[in-house]
Amino acid sequence: MIEFTLWDIVRNLLLAARWTVALSLVAFIGGGVVGAALLVVRLMGRPTPNRLIAGYVQLFQGTPLLMQLFLLYFGLALMGFNTSAWVSAGLALTLYASAYLADIWRGCVEAIPRGQWEASRSLALSFGQQLTHVILPQAVRIAVPPTVGFLVQLIKGTALASVVGFVELTKAGGMIANVTYAPLLVYGCVALLYFGLCFPVSLYARSLERKLNVGHR
Amino acid sequence: MSAIAEPAANDSLLATPHTQVGAPIVRISALRKSYGTHEVLKGIDLDVKRGEVIAIIGKSGSGKSTLLRCINGLEVFQEGSLTVDGKPLLYESAMAMRELRQRVGMIFQSFNLFPHLSVGRNVMLAPHLVKRKNTKDNESRARQLLERVGLAEKFDAMPDQLSGGQQQRVAIARSLAMDPAVLLCDEITSALDPELVGEVLRVVESLANEGMTLLMVTHEMNFARKVADRVIFMHQGRVHEMGSPDALFGNPQTAELRQFLSSLQD
Repeated sequence: MIEFTLWDIVRNLLLAARWTVALSLVAFIGGGVVGAALLVVRLMGRPTPNRLIAGYVQLFQGTPLLMQLFLLYFGLALMGFNTSAWVSAGLALTLYASAYLADIWRGCVEAIPRGQWEASRSLALSFGQQLTHVILPQAVRIAVPPTVGFLVQLIKGTALASVVGFVELTKAGGMIANVTYAPLLVYGCVALLYFGLCFPVSLYARSLERKLNVGHR
Repeated sequence: MSAIAEPAANDSLLATPHTQVGAPIVRISALRKSYGTHEVLKGIDLDVKRGEVIAIIGKSGSGKSTLLRCINGLEVFQEGSLTVDGKPLLYESAMAMRELRQRVGMIFQSFNLFPHLSVGRNVMLAPHLVKRKNTKDNESRARQLLERVGLAEKFDAMPDQLSGGQQQRVAIARSLAMDPAVLLCDEITSALDPELVGEVLRVVESLANEGMTLLMVTHEMNFARKVADRVIFMHQGRVHEMGSPDALFGNPQTAELRQFLSSLQD
């Protein structure tokens, strides 16, 4: 039987963790872009697009991410798209993140007093100018904590991509545990690596919050 | 008073409207507005002459704030027409609305300064974005206007470092920076501590003396009596009584106005 050193285990997990990071980044950036677009459309206040977006958000918030991954992975294959696990996992997580971020950010924009919209409208600012110069700079401050909170959820959520065969941290952990017969040690390392990813994000968020609050106590 | 610079006659900071002095600058005819089935304005006709100072009084829920907010399009009305300094109010056209809003300034009860911008940048934001004013002119004008409201030294302060009265004076300077032909004041002293009311009213009074057309919803009856050319008493969505301050306060014609005035005594 082959002996595995701790370094063998950690080294392989670290290699797999790159994919966790990559998947998180893709989902967060993709979800952020789509979510921001949905938010802007929603703020324009037209009834039909608003109902569609609300339905989209409800759909992704009301079903398990695991089901979304399965449905997308097998659904795309059924429709004749020959996608890799990487593409379908990235796409599913992007859609999932966009629904959540659109909703989180809508809440932040709605937290800005109505008087700010009215004052800027009275000064003849256009909708785009109101958003970029008055509303969003204030909403961003409120948005940092919940957005980072969601990013941490998303990093941990990428673990589910292992079910469609995407080899990221969790999947690699399972594979290594199977050959080393040391599941406790391996999954312990996996957990530590997730913590190592998420904790700095939270720390950075705290410093960002402080920075954004300078000049506005 | 000493903090507020006396305006020199030939060197007014106020812009000249298109409308001639004495000609109607705001024309409202047969204006009706409802929220769902509830009608809040039941046919308002009102002409405001350039340079006129109008005080609108009445109980809460009488439609006075709603009327004011219709004039710059913050509220949508269903029937009737409205023009300001020759610009008609057209909801369908975002361009026309922005044109109109450049003619009308509005001061709010809750100040509504932009909390993330310094005082100076609050004043300069709209001229920069909407009028594309160059930074140098914009800044010197902002400084002039802040001096005008007695806050020259607060240019770099943040709004939350100011008292309510100071914030409201910044809001006035911010409105004036857009060179409005008409200024709407929506209960602008109602959120202020009593000792801060005077400094704001003095600024408004000096604007009135300089010939600014003013429409103000107010609970300050003494101020209305002193400054207004015409007082409008609104009741249940209609102009119930209208006339000079002396006539309205001294000799109210309707029971509703008498009741309203006596309710203020308590």
